Amino acid sequence: MTFDPEFALSILPRILSTITTTLFATIIGCMGAAALGFLWEIVRRSSKPGRYTMRFLIDFIRSTPLLVQIYFFYFVLPEYGLTLPGLVVGVLALSLYYSGYLAEVFKGGIDSIPAGQFEAAKALGLSRLQLIMFVIAPQMLRNVAAPMGNYFVSLLKATPYLAIIAVPEMLSVALEIASETFRYTEPMTVVGIIFLTLALCFSGLVKVIESRLRLSPKAG
Amino acid sequence: MQSALPPIAVALSNVSKWYGKFQVLTDINLTVKRGEKIVICGPSGSGKSTMIRCINRLEGHQRGKIVVGDTELTNDLKKVDEVRRDVGMVFQHFNLFPHLTILQNCTLAPIWVRKMSRRDAEEVAMDYLQRVKIPEQAHKYPGQLSGGQQQRVAIARSLCMNPKIMLFDEPTSALDPEMVKEVLDTMVSLASDGMTMLCVTHEMGFAREVADRVIFMDAGQIVETNAPEAFFSTPQHPRSKLFLSQIL
Ligand SMILES: Nc1ncnc2c1ncn2[C@@H]1O[C@H](COP(=O)(O)OP(=O)(O)O)[C@@H](O)[C@H]1O
Ligand SMILES: [Mg+2]
Repeated sequence: MTFDPEFALSILPRILSTITTTLFATIIGCMGAAALGFLWEIVRRSSKPGRYTMRFLIDFIRSTPLLVQIYFFYFVLPEYGLTLPGLVVGVLALSLYYSGYLAEVFKGGIDSIPAGQFEAAKALGLSRLQLIMFVIAPQMLRNVAAPMGNYFVSLLKATPYLAIIAVPEMLSVALEIASETFRYTEPMTVVGIIFLTLALCFSGLVKVIESRLRLSPKAG
Repeated sequence: MQSALPPIAVALSNVSKWYGKFQVLTDINLTVKRGEKIVICGPSGSGKSTMIRCINRLEGHQRGKIVVGDTELTNDLKKVDEVRRDVGMVFQHFNLFPHLTILQNCTLAPIWVRKMSRRDAEEVAMDYLQRVKIPEQAHKYPGQLSGGQQQRVAIARSLCMNPKIMLFDEPTSALDPEMVKEVLDTMVSLASDGMTMLCVTHEMGFAREVADRVIFMDAGQIVETNAPEAFFSTPQHPRSKLFLSQIL
C-alpha cells in the first residue's frame, strides 16, 4: 500500500480536531507534575519520616510502567466509588508519573543552591514557607529549566497513552480512521508529524525560556 | 522604647556544643551588654563561627544556656523567630539573593517578616542603601556589584530589619584587599551609632578602633578576654601570643 498524500490531507482536519485534548492534557499534566514533584521534594526534605515516605513513593512511581498506572486508576478508582472522566484520569496519571521524575530533578536543583542562601534567609527571620517560595523555588527553577523542559516534552509524547482509556485524542482518532478505512500508513504518519511539530515547538520554547533565565543575572 | 530594652543583649552561660562526638564549643561564658562591641578572633577551626551562629540559632547548642534580649533559645520555634527578628547577621560570602535586585534583597524580610507595606519597606531600604553609600545600585542584581559593594548591601539588608544586635562572621575575609576598607568603614559607622556588635574578624585596626573587648578563642574555648590595646600589645595567654605572632 503506497502513501496517498491526498488521503493524508483529507484526514488531517479530523485528527487535528482533537489537538486541544492533547494540548490540554500536556499543559495541565505538566503543571500537575511540577506541583506534585515540588511537593514531594519539599516533604522529602522536611523530616525523617517524610524522607522515607517520599523516597518510597518516588521510587514506586518511577518503577511502575505509565501504562499500568493509567489502567490502574481507570479501573480501580471506580471500585472505590470514584468514577472520573477518562481525560481526568489520564491527566492525573501523567501528572503523578512525571512528578516522580521531576522530584528528582528538583532535588538536584535545590542541592546546588549554596547553603548560605538558606542561612541568610533564616537569619533574616523568613519562615520555612517564605524561604521556599521566595528564595529556594526561584533559584531552583533557574537550575532545572533544561531537564524539566525535557520531561515536559516527554510528557507531551506520552499523551497518546490516553487512547487506551478511550480518551478521544489524536492517536485514538487516527486508530479509528485506520479501522474504518483499513489504511494505517497515512493516519500514523499524520499523527507522527503533528507530534513531531508539537515537540519541536515545545522544546524550542523551553530553550528560549532556559536562555532567558540564564541571561538574567546570577551572583558572581 | 530604648529604656525598655534589657541591659544585657546576649548571655551565654556554660554553652557546649558537639558535632557528633567532636566537641566544638566547651563551656562558653560570655555576657554582652547592650551597645557593646566585641571582636572575636582565633585560629581557623577554633569555633568562632559556631559560637556566633548559636546566637541566632543557625546552630543549636546541647548544653548551657543562651539568652538573647529576654528570650532564652530553646527548640521552641517561636522563640527562635523572635530572636532572629532582632539579630542581624553578615556572612563571609555575603549570601545576597542572586535572583533579586539589591532593593528587593533589602525589602524581602521587612515585607514578609515585619509585615511592612512595600512602599515603607522601600523607603527604609533606600535610607540604608544611602547610608552604606550605594543607593544608585538599588535596581541592579548582586552579580553586577563588586564584593565590597555586595557586602555593604548585605549589611544594609540586615539593618532594614531594624535589629538590636548585629553578628559579623569574617565580613572582610572574602574581599579583595582594596575593598576591605569600605566595608570596615560601614561597620565603624554602625558602631558609632551604638549598635551591639559581635564581630569575628582579624582586622586589628578595626578591633582597636571600635572593640570594647577582644575575645580570643582556641579549640572551642574562650582562652582570653582583654581590652583591644592590651590584647594586641601584651597578650596574656601563651596561645594568644602564638596566634598573634603568626598573624602579625
Ligand atoms: N556542620 C559541621 N559538622 C561537623 N563539624 C563542623 C561543622 N561545622 C564546623 N565544624 C567543625 O567545628 C570546628 C569549628 O568550626 P568553626 O566554628 O567554623 O570555626 P572557625 O569559625 O573558628 O574557623 C571545626 O573543626 C570545624 O571543622
Ligand atoms: Mg569561621
